[in-house]
Amino acid sequence: MSNTTLNETERPDDPDERTTTVGESEETIQPSWRQYHFDGDSKISVSGLDVHYGDDHALKDIGMEIPEESVTALIGPSGCGKSTFLRCLNRMNDRIRAAEIDGEVSYDGENIYGDGVNLVELRKRVGMVFQAPNPFPKSIRENVSYGPRKHGDIRTGFFDRLTGRDDREQRDRIVEESLRKAALWDEVKDRLDENALSLSGGQQQRLCIARCLAVDPDVILMDEPASALDPIATAKIEDLIEQLAEEYTVVVVTHNMQQAARISDQTAVFLTGGELVEYGDTDQIFENPNSDRVEDYITGKFG
Amino acid sequence: MARTDYQRQLRALRADVVEMGEVVLGRYDGALTALETKDEELAREVIEGDDEINETYLDLESDCIGLFALQQPVASDLRFVAASFKILTDLERIGDLATNLAGYALDAERQRYPEVDIRHIGERVRTMVADAIDAYDRSDAGIAREVALRDDDIDQLCETASETVVADLLRTNYGDESAAILEDASRLLLTIRDLERVADHAVNVCARIVYMVEHDDELIY
Repeated sequence: MSNTTLNETERPDDPDERTTTVGESEETIQPSWRQYHFDGDSKISVSGLDVHYGDDHALKDIGMEIPEESVTALIGPSGCGKSTFLRCLNRMNDRIRAAEIDGEVSYDGENIYGDGVNLVELRKRVGMVFQAPNPFPKSIRENVSYGPRKHGDIRTGFFDRLTGRDDREQRDRIVEESLRKAALWDEVKDRLDENALSLSGGQQQRLCIARCLAVDPDVILMDEPASALDPIATAKIEDLIEQLAEEYTVVVVTHNMQQAARISDQTAVFLTGGELVEYGDTDQIFENPNSDRVEDYITGKFG
Repeated sequence: MARTDYQRQLRALRADVVEMGEVVLGRYDGALTALETKDEELAREVIEGDDEINETYLDLESDCIGLFALQQPVASDLRFVAASFKILTDLERIGDLATNLAGYALDAERQRYPEVDIRHIGERVRTMVADAIDAYDRSDAGIAREVALRDDDIDQLCETASETVVADLLRTNYGDESAAILEDASRLLLTIRDLERVADHAVNVCARIVYMVEHDDELIY
């Protein structure tokens, strides 16, 4: 994997003048369509990001500023690279041997692809929730406390009890706080020692969010977090995402465009070919997109 | 092309709104002619036809709500359905005003102010409505903007006409005829006001068309 940071003059061609064809239309992507201006600070800055899977150029020269404490939705047809992009934000793509990543992704000003980055710490600060709920086959309490214990934030083992370093109170506090933030506490507070697999799908997904929150992240990446859930469970997850954005930076990949419209503050549209075509206020994207291809995609004329 | 049924519904909505506009325009024409010719039968046709317009309005409003609820339109589709939803209301109001005008035709016994050219004002207002409906059908913001500009002339014509009537009332002592004259004068002033309102609704339609086509709300506010 290369850690090269490309600058404007080194780029092989000018991506801002690139003309691409998707569906039946052809258009030149204008730089202004991808420059999102917002008040406040940027939590994640991406520039010149290219990802190859072997010969497949999955992401092409992506640049994005992701505002803190807000919800950013990534939408686009299958294969457009939005999940690849999401995984680049906490280096989950490192686990894919064929992935070659160039460019820069900065979290709080530090390039996460730079030398000496502590991946464990990075993924603690930039957590991820996946499409299918994936609780451990352990109790609800253990699911939530697993991360803090692994990271050494709480100690509750036999040896710790023997040596008087038992941190059970802190564990219970983290478990309750995380479950409350994930809007699950009231539903499970009397059954914390039951197996997490006994929960419904929607509850399992909120448990996974609580597990993510327990290690005190800053950014939460979500890859289709409600696509496997029924409408009621989906609504709870959507409410939760909006609440989380008061404290965390949330980036959500979704195929459900109405969900993106409902929950996000800003939306980035990726289209086939691994390109970011438009990025802006969600209102603007869904009411008056600049790109005809984005218009065609979100109105369902192709994709 | 994906979502073919949805696309068909959007095309049908446009065609139905245009058709409703043409019916409303027909009623307005009838009212204008009835005012001029004192044709009671024609006036009653216009008045009785208002129920049909109201039913069409409710049906099309329901179609728009159905599209919002079931198809969740976005981008230009959203602007089109939202604009159509509002334009329907303006067309229905023009229908109501045509009914008012037809009612004045039934009551007016004679034209006491020949210098007030209701036919001229009415024709110019009619052209505004017809052009607004055409602009909607074509999604032509240019025509819509141009139609909206004509409203100042209509306002001026209506103001001049009203002043003519009021000045005559102030100037002339009609003696025993005063009550009848006042009744006719008020009816004429209401006619002028309603024509001006029809033009205002045409401008509203144009404002929604500009928003629909260009996402520009300058004429709405």
